[in-house]
Amino acid sequence: MIDAIVIENLSKTYQVPEREGGFKAAVRGFFRRRYKDVHAVQRVNFRIESGEIVGFLGPNGAGKTTTLKMLSGLLHPTGGRARVLDFTPWDRKREFLQAITLVMGQRNRLSWDIPAADSFLLNQAIYRLPDAAYKATLKELDELLELGPIMRKPVRNLSLGERMKCELAAGLLHRPRVLFLDEPTIGLDITAQARIRTFLQEYNRRTGATILLTSHYMADVTALCERIIMIHEGKLKYDGGINELTHRIAPFKLICVTLQDGADCDLSPYGTLAPGENGCKTLLQVPAGEVAAVTARILADLPVHDLTIEDPPIEHVIERAFNE
Amino acid sequence: MLRIYQRLWQVNWAEQWQYRANLLMYLLYWLVSPIVYLAVWTTVANSQGSVKGFTANDFATYYMILLIVDQLNSEITIHLLAYKIQDGTLSGELLKPIHPILTNTLVNNLAFKALTLMAMLPVWEILFLLFRPDFSSVTPQSVLLAVPAIVLGFGINFLFGAAITCVAFWTTRVYALSEFYYALLILFAGQFVPLDLMPPAIQTIAQYLPFQLLRYFPIQLILGKLPPEVIALDFALGVFWLAVAVVIFRFVWRRGVKRFSAVGA
Repeated sequence: MIDAIVIENLSKTYQVPEREGGFKAAVRGFFRRRYKDVHAVQRVNFRIESGEIVGFLGPNGAGKTTTLKMLSGLLHPTGGRARVLDFTPWDRKREFLQAITLVMGQRNRLSWDIPAADSFLLNQAIYRLPDAAYKATLKELDELLELGPIMRKPVRNLSLGERMKCELAAGLLHRPRVLFLDEPTIGLDITAQARIRTFLQEYNRRTGATILLTSHYMADVTALCERIIMIHEGKLKYDGGINELTHRIAPFKLICVTLQDGADCDLSPYGTLAPGENGCKTLLQVPAGEVAAVTARILADLPVHDLTIEDPPIEHVIERAFNE
Repeated sequence: MLRIYQRLWQVNWAEQWQYRANLLMYLLYWLVSPIVYLAVWTTVANSQGSVKGFTANDFATYYMILLIVDQLNSEITIHLLAYKIQDGTLSGELLKPIHPILTNTLVNNLAFKALTLMAMLPVWEILFLLFRPDFSSVTPQSVLLAVPAIVLGFGINFLFGAAITCVAFWTTRVYALSEFYYALLILFAGQFVPLDLMPPAIQTIAQYLPFQLLRYFPIQLILGKLPPEVIALDFALGVFWLAVAVVIFRFVWRRGVKRFSAVGA
């Protein structure tokens, strides 16, 4: 396997003008501006193999979008190097731009006043796609995303979800080999989210494309990615499998116990009580190694109506990882 | 490449029709000053017989042609692009494997021009009926000769306009610079008055500046008022200024994009 994306010590420092509020400060700022260095990305390293789908996680302001922009050639880094498909992104070579896409949830690549279908035709010309290949891809995208009637309405009249589908289609018509997706499901309802997820999986399977995506919806990440890369305050926090992260950060399971009607027992001796969810009466946090023994004891000691064992929710794991 | 321009034209042409109100405002703004000059100077010339040898008909023909030439080689790049640079939406265009200004912005300018020209023609006809100018000095040859002059003028103006717009990569005050450029243009292009009526010193300076190539030169060419040696000199100057504009634009654009990507699009 070859690496589709390699970054070494990639760094980006912004100089942000700094000034206090008020008129005096404004006047002072007019003559002498003070700048503050903001280290958005600090010496980050990772490699992504061709064909991988990787989740790129971090809280707001962690440097995710900055990294994606550097990788797609929109930003010059202040340090380090990056290779995407063996190109240096910020050289913005035609062959490079032809092979990648960056889809940002809130940015539109589509012309607002005309139907998406017209923008697609324009993209066909811009990316120099032969008619047959263009039609085949559009048909495929239409099947996967159900674009049918929505791509013939002016984009301004589309709902957020419909627009996102069209954005994705516009970003994929040229069959990019590397996809940078920044919050591709933001603002979408559950059904649309699920559809886009399935679509991305299918696209990856059919074309072998490499996908690096950010999302605030953990469902996106657990459904699509086996591997996650976490950054926090511009620094790499974790790079590896989701399961390994769970084992490392939260080496416990959750036992959900519902007792028979009327029974009221204290479960605290069996494990740490956690806030109950999913309608179960009591949620116990138990070290992973002791689950079997604890379960056996509960079943033997108490009038149990129902008992399930679950992994801790990934949101909690991630949150704990960031706070570590 | 031709296909890109063709598709861009379709998209931009369709888009232009969405902004009818906007278009009307631009057109009014555009037409007001030449029409005012036309009215004022013909009145003055009529009352005095002539102004420095310019008769009322000379003014009428000059400004009537100016109206068309003005439409043909003006540019609106700053209105199309400056805000995209400032709010970062230019990134969407930078992701595509084409030069955004030499494709999209250029075609957008042309589509706008085509539409305003269409809207202007009835106004022009009304003015024609009102002033009844005598266009007998205009020949098919003179019009044909003016075509490359206008194309050259548009090329120069478009590239200078684009270079000025690119200053938006550094400062939000780019509109002031654009206004300054336009003020120079009004003064030195023969927009305000035909250059012949300017003081000799200004005429000499204006001859070598690019601005007269945008208005005065094509107008006088159409009216058949220029001797062959001046025509040759002006075409040579046009090629020179086009080359200068290309160099300046490329320099500012490259630096600008680099800066755009340094501050975080």
